[in-house]
Amino acid sequence: MLPIILLSVFGIVLLFMGFLKSKVLLLPATLVFILAALATTFMDWGKTYLYFQNMLLTNNLAILFTTIVLLSAFMVVALSNSFIEDEQAQPAEYYALLLFSLVGAIMMISFENLIMLFVGVEILSVAMYVLAGSDKHSPRSNEAALKYFLMGAFATGIMLFGIALLYGATGTFVVSGIKSYVYTNAYGVSLLLYMGIILLLIGMLFKVSAAPFHFWTPDVYDGTPGLFTAFMSTVVKTAGFAALFRVLSVSFVGVYSFWWGTLAALTCLTLLIGNVTAVYQTSFKRMMAYSSISHAGYLLIGLTALGTQTKQALVFYSLAYSLATISAFGVLLVVSRQRQDTNGVNENFDAFNGLARQNPLLGFVMAVSMLSLAGIPLTAGFWGKFMIFTTAADKGIYWILVFAVLMSTVGIYYYFRVIIAMYFREGAAEPVKVAPFYRYVLIAATILTLVLGLAPGLLEGLV
Amino acid sequence: MNASYLPSDYLPVLIQLGLALGFIITTMIVTHSIGPKRKSQKKDDPFECGIPVEGDARTPISIKYFLIAILFVLFDVEVIFLYPWAVNFKGLGVTGFIEMVLFMGLLLAGFYYIIRKGVLKWE
Amino acid sequence: MKPIEIVFYVLTGITLLSAITVVTARNPIHSVLALIATFFCLSGHYILMNAQFLAAVNIIVYAGAIMVLFLFTIMFLNLRREDEESKTNLTKMAAVVVGGILMVTMLLVFRAVQLPAVNEGNFDARTGLVEQLGIMLYSDYLLPFELASVLLLVAMVGAVMLGKREAGDRHF
Repeated sequence: MLPIILLSVFGIVLLFMGFLKSKVLLLPATLVFILAALATTFMDWGKTYLYFQNMLLTNNLAILFTTIVLLSAFMVVALSNSFIEDEQAQPAEYYALLLFSLVGAIMMISFENLIMLFVGVEILSVAMYVLAGSDKHSPRSNEAALKYFLMGAFATGIMLFGIALLYGATGTFVVSGIKSYVYTNAYGVSLLLYMGIILLLIGMLFKVSAAPFHFWTPDVYDGTPGLFTAFMSTVVKTAGFAALFRVLSVSFVGVYSFWWGTLAALTCLTLLIGNVTAVYQTSFKRMMAYSSISHAGYLLIGLTALGTQTKQALVFYSLAYSLATISAFGVLLVVSRQRQDTNGVNENFDAFNGLARQNPLLGFVMAVSMLSLAGIPLTAGFWGKFMIFTTAADKGIYWILVFAVLMSTVGIYYYFRVIIAMYFREGAAEPVKVAPFYRYVLIAATILTLVLGLAPGLLEGLV
Repeated sequence: MNASYLPSDYLPVLIQLGLALGFIITTMIVTHSIGPKRKSQKKDDPFECGIPVEGDARTPISIKYFLIAILFVLFDVEVIFLYPWAVNFKGLGVTGFIEMVLFMGLLLAGFYYIIRKGVLKWE
Repeated sequence: MKPIEIVFYVLTGITLLSAITVVTARNPIHSVLALIATFFCLSGHYILMNAQFLAAVNIIVYAGAIMVLFLFTIMFLNLRREDEESKTNLTKMAAVVVGGILMVTMLLVFRAVQLPAVNEGNFDARTGLVEQLGIMLYSDYLLPFELASVLLLVAMVGAVMLGKREAGDRHF
């Protein structure tokens, strides 16, 4: 509750700090604000609180998801030092919108009332539509914003219709109220409930870019300025899965037999499309877009095989995925900016040629993040996948397990293309320069990935 | 069953609406039919300060108008929150007032931001 | 037929007619005008359902403000060109199949669903009126209401950020 209030107020403060002559204060102020919100998040640790007549519910799980979201946001903001030099950029607005979007993300994580979910999705999405188009003079950025906005608005509309039908069936917006409706009417659940579940799922699956609602993802991720793509693919996805987990595990667990088959089919489709299409990409950024679709698929396995282990697996996987994605985008930002070709920034695989020799640190950071995304042992990504697969094995859904393992071997192929380019290809001779603070953030993300890979038990027992 | 507050309460409004529409339509028809009509090519030509007319009225307009329109929509949405509050103003008391001040505070901060940005300034 | 049923059917007829005109009209301005008519008809339906507040909001926000935006957008665009058609047949087919399946499913669900009968004893005709709604909004739904202001603020900042032309930018 407190982080929501704080972030709203801090957002306005940042907005007005933009009128100051000097822009140097903006970045440190944003970082301090996010840290303050993170600190207040932990005030509710170990307790379960309901706020404002069943509007918000904070428990350890919500706090952990909030932590992941705020941590991702912290790292993304820390990588944004280039805004200050850019003449066209409006850093105060960017940071304010990022903080406001975090308000939406936290609402999506800790909602207890579906109205809160809707308002949270809207706050997060509207901020993202704007940030997708923040590079005003680039046609690709404009295209991304327009596509994201049009499709996102439709998805939100569908989701809202689903919420309305759920209200029609159960007479309540409260997540636990829907649960008790399902249990008291175990044999005669209203058909409107099923329709509502489907429409709500369509809306939410769109937000986490699961197939077949993924068509916007490549173009939007590609056209959006790199930093905001990193934010989009981590914060939006984590918040979306937290929200999905809450509705599925609380409200709809009583009708598990109704939705699990559909979700399992969508999971396999998502894994297939994400992994296979990623193989054919020449642009690294587009590959990351398809990779984010495939990771949505892995996270969906956890939801399909809903059980006692699911929440821990989701938390671990989101954290591992966020860390790896942000460090990958961090390296991409530096490299693409300093190796421009005729079309402006070079975001293709060949931009990484020979990177490991000119800048061993960046090469190492990228290599670890790719290994983690591919799920190679000794990285956090391996344990993330391991826990997700364990949930499926516990539930006895082995075919999905086999399919997912098959798809992750496909994944190894395209993640290793980057590593091969960095270590075995000849590239431009001039070294890539990195600002000191930027370097610390990348190092911290890499160390965290490795620590979680070596000691996955650190997060055990927290939820 | 409480029989008051039914849609039929709107009958007077409907009659009023019908009368208003009817008056407009009647006057339009009547003025068209009883007035004298003189037609010539020069008279029917759209007149633009003596300059020959070029193209039609569908020329693109400045983006500035659109920004104003969007901001108008946002403050219009805010009005719909004020409406149920105003109806319940006495019942909600001081608590309701503080709630609305918070809500308006955030939006007025936005309004101040718009003014400081110079969006409403017309060059 | 009861008089209220006659009103309902007449209103429904006009609504459908104007909604179809929105889609089929060649001139975009005519589409917008038909859309305004549709919104007014919908407000009529809200009044028939005794949802007074929704009726008012629909006219204030949709028929008023949103329509201004629509008209402005149409005036920004150069709509004289006739070459907008670029969808392949496959896309059209897929859209028809998906939309059709969704429509059939919903129709089946809405036909089959059993809605509980109205309890005449505790039925309150004032439920949809502004007063009741305000009491709910400012007590139970206080938090979403306050956070809606954050949503409006985000939209405001976003509109200014994307829409404001800097010195030297094009205005069209």
